[in-house]
Amino acid sequence: MRISRLDREAERIGLRRGHGVTEARAICPSLDILPAEPVADRALLEGLADWCDRYTPLVALDGDDGLYLDITGCAHLHGGERAMLDGLLSSLFALGVEARGAISSSPGLSWAVSHFGEGGVIDADAAETVLAPLPTPALRLPKDTAEMLGRVGLKAIGDLLPLPRAPLARRFGPLLLLRLDQALGLEDEPISPRLPVPVLSAERRLFDPVSSADDILALSAHLAGSLKEGLERRGEGGRLFVLLLFRVDGRVFRIQAATSAPQRDPDRIKLLFRERLAAVHDGLDAGYGFEIVRLCVLTAEPFETVQEGFADGTGDSPSLSAFAERIVARFGPDSLLALTLAESHLPERAARLAPILDRLESERAVDRSGAPAVTATACMDRPLRLFTPPEPVETMAGVPEDAPKSFRWRRSLYRIARTEGPERIAAEWWIDGENQPSRDYFRVEDEAGRRFWLFREGIYGRQPHLPRWFIHGFFA
Amino acid sequence: MATPALARERLLALREAVARIENADGPGLSGRKSRWQWNAPEAAPNDPPATDGLEAIFAAGLPACGLVEIRNAQTRDMGAATGFTLALAALQQEIAGTGATLWISQAMALSEAGMPYAPGLKNYGLDPARLFIARPRTAQDALWIAEAALGISAFSAVILEIRGNPACFGLTESRRLQLRAKAGGTLLLLLRQAGEEEASSAICRLRVEPAPAAARPLPDGSTLAGSLGNPAFLVTPEKSKIADAVGTVLEWNPDDRRFRRTETHPESHPAAQQPQRQPEDTLPLVSLSSHRQSGPGALGTVVALQRTP
Repeated sequence: MRISRLDREAERIGLRRGHGVTEARAICPSLDILPAEPVADRALLEGLADWCDRYTPLVALDGDDGLYLDITGCAHLHGGERAMLDGLLSSLFALGVEARGAISSSPGLSWAVSHFGEGGVIDADAAETVLAPLPTPALRLPKDTAEMLGRVGLKAIGDLLPLPRAPLARRFGPLLLLRLDQALGLEDEPISPRLPVPVLSAERRLFDPVSSADDILALSAHLAGSLKEGLERRGEGGRLFVLLLFRVDGRVFRIQAATSAPQRDPDRIKLLFRERLAAVHDGLDAGYGFEIVRLCVLTAEPFETVQEGFADGTGDSPSLSAFAERIVARFGPDSLLALTLAESHLPERAARLAPILDRLESERAVDRSGAPAVTATACMDRPLRLFTPPEPVETMAGVPEDAPKSFRWRRSLYRIARTEGPERIAAEWWIDGENQPSRDYFRVEDEAGRRFWLFREGIYGRQPHLPRWFIHGFFA
Repeated sequence: MATPALARERLLALREAVARIENADGPGLSGRKSRWQWNAPEAAPNDPPATDGLEAIFAAGLPACGLVEIRNAQTRDMGAATGFTLALAALQQEIAGTGATLWISQAMALSEAGMPYAPGLKNYGLDPARLFIARPRTAQDALWIAEAALGISAFSAVILEIRGNPACFGLTESRRLQLRAKAGGTLLLLLRQAGEEEASSAICRLRVEPAPAAARPLPDGSTLAGSLGNPAFLVTPEKSKIADAVGTVLEWNPDDRRFRRTETHPESHPAAQQPQRQPEDTLPLVSLSSHRQSGPGALGTVVALQRTP
């Protein structure tokens, strides 16, 4: 067992990363040793990244112990760069996290200064003077490159700066120069935010934390009202909304809600979140309340304004799409389905149940493009209800190839009175391969008048094992 | 003579109370119902289609709104019950002209009795593009969806499929749904899969069982023997305004979207077991023997003991 992380006090008494645990105990017998939990560490870091969302939506993870925040254009909202950094670090300290931070014009410089320097805010033109005294590992170099640099005596970044670039690149590879340029801000380095950046967002910071669902809903309606203006200016409506609730103790809840059509009406958005809140009721622990409530539009689409006639009576009767949104928000996207037809001969492929929001979406697409929709090609009799997958039955027939005289399904016996068939449906070899057996379907009626759809998979004598019989559906 | 009159008055008062609870017109109370009527929009008086078969089940054709329960005792009869329910929904869709049908079914009920199949529904006279399936996990969620759907004018009929007799769906809940359906002007068809007979607030409760299908008609007017044509159902009212509790065989014509009452009874099915008929004159199969002992004698010996005086 080796030490993977240690605190400042342990560093002071001379312990280092990579020391064996027994060795460390020999140095300091009263050492407190905990097993490393990388998964929990990762969860904590992601939780902190969520927490940092209050400063900027562009938060990226840096390895397993750091965060990048892109605060371009955000600093003035928090009282300037110096005040923002101090506020962030002191809030983190209050949460029990010891952190160091730096604000500069490039991610590389901030990384170097926060890991190896004093931290703080660095002016754009002071980059070289700040970097020069720092050791070369501050350039985020691979371990062997840093060791190679140390062996030739280039210990500080200041030693590298006056050297000619071409020999450096030849000897240490292009990465060294890239990192150097990135730290100096000569080379652009984008950070990749861990969450999608919202199209629009509105937030409300509360002096007094709220915890009741009614307050949250009222606030979300208020925020939706302020988003409406932005959406109208863009000529768009939101398809996917997310409500962020920042709890006082640093936990952040994200509640997503999708709509069936581009939407910007605050009341509809509020209704949507009312269902979502009812659905996630147990998962949302308000604790001491939420201090920031933010509503973001993640996906927006062009909003088609339709003039409604007086005679439509659309005033107070809620429409199908509103109903669909409500159900989907409460029970999930797979709870409300629409039947869609497909061009296939195999019964189970000829129809599909698709989530209703996809269906409403595709209907609008068809309306726009004018492409014809798929219609059922089959005019044969098909059952009303289909078993997926087909259930095996035991049959008894006079002649093997003939329709069965009786069959046993779910432990009861059915004597067949009348039969229609067979209807042979060949397998779709372009999907299933050529060895898939064909099916012979029979419509049968038993003595009580129940009508079933049976099929035999395979043909007698063509295959090593006997064909099997299945029940595939109920007729009316 | 005063006692019967008093009893009669009490009976009338009780009937009135029941009618008030049910918000329905009982016998002899049609004049007073407006006072107790739930504030619901009246059914549009457009001429109903010729559903001559349905008169035997519903007093005045298919009700435009309210709760109608359809049940069967076994899952294997679900084909017939589903077929009858969907036929009513198709009829309602035709009467309303426009509107979609919502089929709410517990995930469990769907896996037991099969998923709705679009090509089959199309052949059956129901447009699959106007049918939506809600698949909640529990019966409570199903009730919630049903209640939410009853206020939507886009639905002409709502089918609520429940498996068995769940405890969360009792008299109170059915009453609530019935009132909602009346207020919303929507027909709610409760399809109870493999359920027991249970008291509810439904307008009527029907037990639907399969019946042998009609044979396919031929161009010359005869029928093709041994073929499976239009589906037929044996519908028995269990709770109904019409006291006739005898089952009716109804045949559904998917092309016309009409029911037809057929006189065929299950017994006339060619393969159905003929009932053991007792002939009028019961003759013995074999003639009695003559000049013979008519059977074995009784076991044991009877000893005639002489009485001693």
